[in-house]
Amino acid sequence: MPSFIEALSMNPLLFAALLGGWAASIVSGIIGSYVVVKRIVFIAGSISHSVLSGIGLCIWLERTQGVTWASPLYGALAAAVGSALIIGWMHLKYRQREDSVIAALWSIGMAIGVLFISQTPGFNVELTNFLIGNILWVSTTDLYILGGLDIAIILLVACLHKRFLAICFDEEQARLQGLNVNALYILLLILIAISIVLLIQVVGIILVMTMLTIPAAIANLVTKSLSLMMVVAIAISSSFCLMGNWLAYYLDWPTGATIALFAGIVYVASLFFANRRKKPILKSIE
Amino acid sequence: MPVLSNVSFQINEGEFIGIIGPNGGGKTTLLKLILGFIQPTQGTVKIFKNARQIAYVPQSTKFDREFPISVIEVVLSGLLSRLPWYGFFNQADHQKALEALEKVSLTQFKNHSFGQLSGGQAQRVLIARAIVDRPHLLLLDEPTAGVDNQAEADIYAILKSMQGSMTILMVTHDLNAAINQVERLLCVQGAVFSLKPEEVCEHYAMGLYHDPLLQIKQSNFR
Repeated sequence: MPSFIEALSMNPLLFAALLGGWAASIVSGIIGSYVVVKRIVFIAGSISHSVLSGIGLCIWLERTQGVTWASPLYGALAAAVGSALIIGWMHLKYRQREDSVIAALWSIGMAIGVLFISQTPGFNVELTNFLIGNILWVSTTDLYILGGLDIAIILLVACLHKRFLAICFDEEQARLQGLNVNALYILLLILIAISIVLLIQVVGIILVMTMLTIPAAIANLVTKSLSLMMVVAIAISSSFCLMGNWLAYYLDWPTGATIALFAGIVYVASLFFANRRKKPILKSIE
Repeated sequence: MPVLSNVSFQINEGEFIGIIGPNGGGKTTLLKLILGFIQPTQGTVKIFKNARQIAYVPQSTKFDREFPISVIEVVLSGLLSRLPWYGFFNQADHQKALEALEKVSLTQFKNHSFGQLSGGQAQRVLIARAIVDRPHLLLLDEPTAGVDNQAEADIYAILKSMQGSMTILMVTHDLNAAINQVERLLCVQGAVFSLKPEEVCEHYAMGLYHDPLLQIKQSNFR
């Protein structure tokens, strides 16, 4: 069996998988940091699972109705952005019942997806890929799409970062400073939705929250500014992709699940070390 | 039961005013009305002939202490209304933020994490954020809540140093301290009426806003 490095140079599929994972890491590091500090992981979870409704609808349209342009990727994007808009609207109008609505959207989205899929004959390879991910099937077109969206998100966040920071830290102050807090919040949710669809290509719906939250949560333990947290989260996420691919290659495990499991173990370990590090500081203050 | 009713009061430029009253009396509602976060069902709030140059200092305890934001970033967020579309503050803005930090004696903490500061230091950073753009009206929501005696004295010293340069409205439960600092008190208990510090009954300091005295003071005010 060739070594992982040799396999990378010999097998373009494996190399593309690693590039795809790194491209997704940029998105997860930046957008995941906003998700973690704004404490809207539950919202991101709801968006990621409601994506199944769009995927199921498009697979059904494509297979049974002959609508050839109905790609599952378009369905996923439409469902994610639609869910983000609904959650944003509920947040602004009915904040008291926001969590219940988010949970309802979560299960309704999955239910719609399951119903459409049950009406579609045959085994759906795309559906399996969207559910558990298949980073080894990242095509050249996917890499271009991932790269293009990375650049778009970096440029947008560069211009809006201080405004996003303000609405994450103190919405009242942002409103007092004349910022359109509602529009910024909705825009942030749409960016989260697009990022989720990109990350789903790598690790799938079931594991997407790992990529979106764990690198940022670990970075949060060691950084004191949001911009630095994003850089560290990108580095951590890229390392997870590399280590996940490496482990999956030698153990012959599914790549997405291996990345998620490795990330989870590192997160638990980092929480343990972070707690140990805090204790002496508290003692010295006392 | 309506919160506040026929409220009518005026504040003169440069005054330092304390807002007192029992829990549920409407102090927060009054602040939110002045800030424009909620609109009155009847009547209007007029500030500087509608020019809204207002800054607000919330309680530092409401913030997430794990939020990754540095002290200088918190202060710069007081200049967001001046932020250009491309999202970067210029050198003059950074200089203003440093000057504001100097006024609250926290320049050496500019690169520290906001979450690592003590309650009193965090409150002073929020005051720096509020004054960085030189507002005309400064609103404070219990700035000494949950801080120790030294931090409380520091915060009052900062507010005293700004007295006269801007109008200051401070919601407080700490009546003993407030009557020594402010020029006038607004008592919010359903309605709003004005008291001089020397007219404040000692029972108020114990949280006993008893009705008979309030009615007497209210009639005197009218």
